[in-house]
Amino acid sequence: MAIRFALLALLPLALPHAAGASPWQFEAPISLSDRHGEKLFHHMESSGRRNIAVSGDTVAVAWEDDRDGTPRIYLARKRLQDKAFAPALRLSGEDEAYEPSLVALDGGRFAAAWEEDGRVRLRLVTPEGGGPVATLEAAESAQPSLLYAAGELRLVAAEREQRFARTRFHRFGVDEGQRLRRLGGCAVDAAPPQDEQLYPTLAQQQGVTVVAWEDRRPGHTIIMASESVSGSECAFTAPQRISLRPERGEKMPYGRGHGVARVALAAYGKEALLAAWADKRDFREGYDIYAAHWRPQRGFDGNERVQDAFGGVARQWHTAVAGDSEGRLVVAWDDERDGDGNVMFSWLEEGEWSEDLPLPGADGAGEQTHPAITLDAQGNLHAAWVERDVVGGPTRLRYAFGRRH
Amino acid sequence: MLRICALFLFSLAALPALADAPQGYPFLPFDEAMRQAQAQRKPVFVYFGRYGCGYCEKTNKEAFSEASVRERYTQNYVLAYVDSESGKRLRLPSGERITERELGTRYDAFVTPVFSYLDSSGALHHRLVGVQSKETLLAADAAARAKMAAGE
Repeated sequence: MAIRFALLALLPLALPHAAGASPWQFEAPISLSDRHGEKLFHHMESSGRRNIAVSGDTVAVAWEDDRDGTPRIYLARKRLQDKAFAPALRLSGEDEAYEPSLVALDGGRFAAAWEEDGRVRLRLVTPEGGGPVATLEAAESAQPSLLYAAGELRLVAAEREQRFARTRFHRFGVDEGQRLRRLGGCAVDAAPPQDEQLYPTLAQQQGVTVVAWEDRRPGHTIIMASESVSGSECAFTAPQRISLRPERGEKMPYGRGHGVARVALAAYGKEALLAAWADKRDFREGYDIYAAHWRPQRGFDGNERVQDAFGGVARQWHTAVAGDSEGRLVVAWDDERDGDGNVMFSWLEEGEWSEDLPLPGADGAGEQTHPAITLDAQGNLHAAWVERDVVGGPTRLRYAFGRRH
Repeated sequence: MLRICALFLFSLAALPALADAPQGYPFLPFDEAMRQAQAQRKPVFVYFGRYGCGYCEKTNKEAFSEASVRERYTQNYVLAYVDSESGKRLRLPSGERITERELGTRYDAFVTPVFSYLDSSGALHHRLVGVQSKETLLAADAAARAKMAAGE
């Protein structure tokens, strides 16, 4: 034990991570959901962790809760200068609904996609309210993730085709009003799936749409990615494995490989993207947060660990990523290094990941987990998360605004 | 030709299993197991595994293959298997709908395998982490049942 403490004390001397104050000054967190209670459970777990977005001067958060006994999708909005969120708007219909993904359009408009009764639905939300609901044609689809680029809505989802789920890409035209027009779609990997393809997400940079997802083709879960082919309406490059196998001296006699889970993607700067995910390559300590950077013509580089060395002895879960065109890049996750789950975050600072800091207001007593983050046009950081007093207990949703220094 | 056939059969036999629940055990989804446990007033043994998990496969082959383990665990517990990376949904006794992965985080399945011994209300009484032998599984069964009897 004494040796462990001594090593921990020496860790700062060996830390390659940049140390410094957060670039954001956080206001006290506020409640996001208008309903909570003993038997009420909120979830923010969209594919790619896309539960929060900012359009103009409006921030919106989408989640699922079971306030009336059935899991449904809700959305709450707030003008940035307002003190509180407006009452939640219900987006889903009569059936059980899960895993909403949110994206900002212009002019205070948003689009949300979710799974309901086994199929992905989507609709626009304008300042006036929700538009008509569109449904993907596949008999079984789930885990949608949204992107708005070049004036159109792009969506990826896991769609079951016979035995396996397959990542498919869809394009929708957006009318001035609230109606969505399907423009086309295709499988991201042109080859038939060899195993499950799950939890896809997407981002856009330099006119290239990059899609990443969990793929079980090698007999364990890996993260794979493809990018759109220039000049084609719907074609993608052959998938590239981006979660790399750690080099070990001796091959394990059992199993196919280590576990990874739930990739998140964000564009940052003028030409880069980051994919980040939970990775169990150091299997004795649970999941850590790993990432890979993408650049045009180069694809994804090697893997790097985002969290600092203090996080090595604890578990990390639920990776969220946000970036902006000025080059800011933030990764948030929940982390058990201080006991119960707290939301931690790290940002890229002169090419290095900062030391990990608890997100102000999302640490301390109880459990703060499942962060969703986004950066607005001014570089301010918006964060939402799920809070519980006790593990397994009822939940609340919280939101915090971090003003850029 | 015979040699090619033999090689093919050998290659099939040599393929490692993908570390699902061990063969020959009546593993159920977690929520179904909890319902059955409450109805039968039996404890629940939860196997948190992962697709492609090496130490799960080793434990399956070297410990769960033993007849004494099979007999003891099928007799004493309702058995649940959870893929700790799966998005498959289940409903907890509290009424909350979550995925198997989220259940894994709730029961701290930070590595795989993790074996949790719960009473019929879902309270955790004993836990094993990592690869296990026949002896450790049999000892854990006795320890878990003793703890439950003592209310620990």
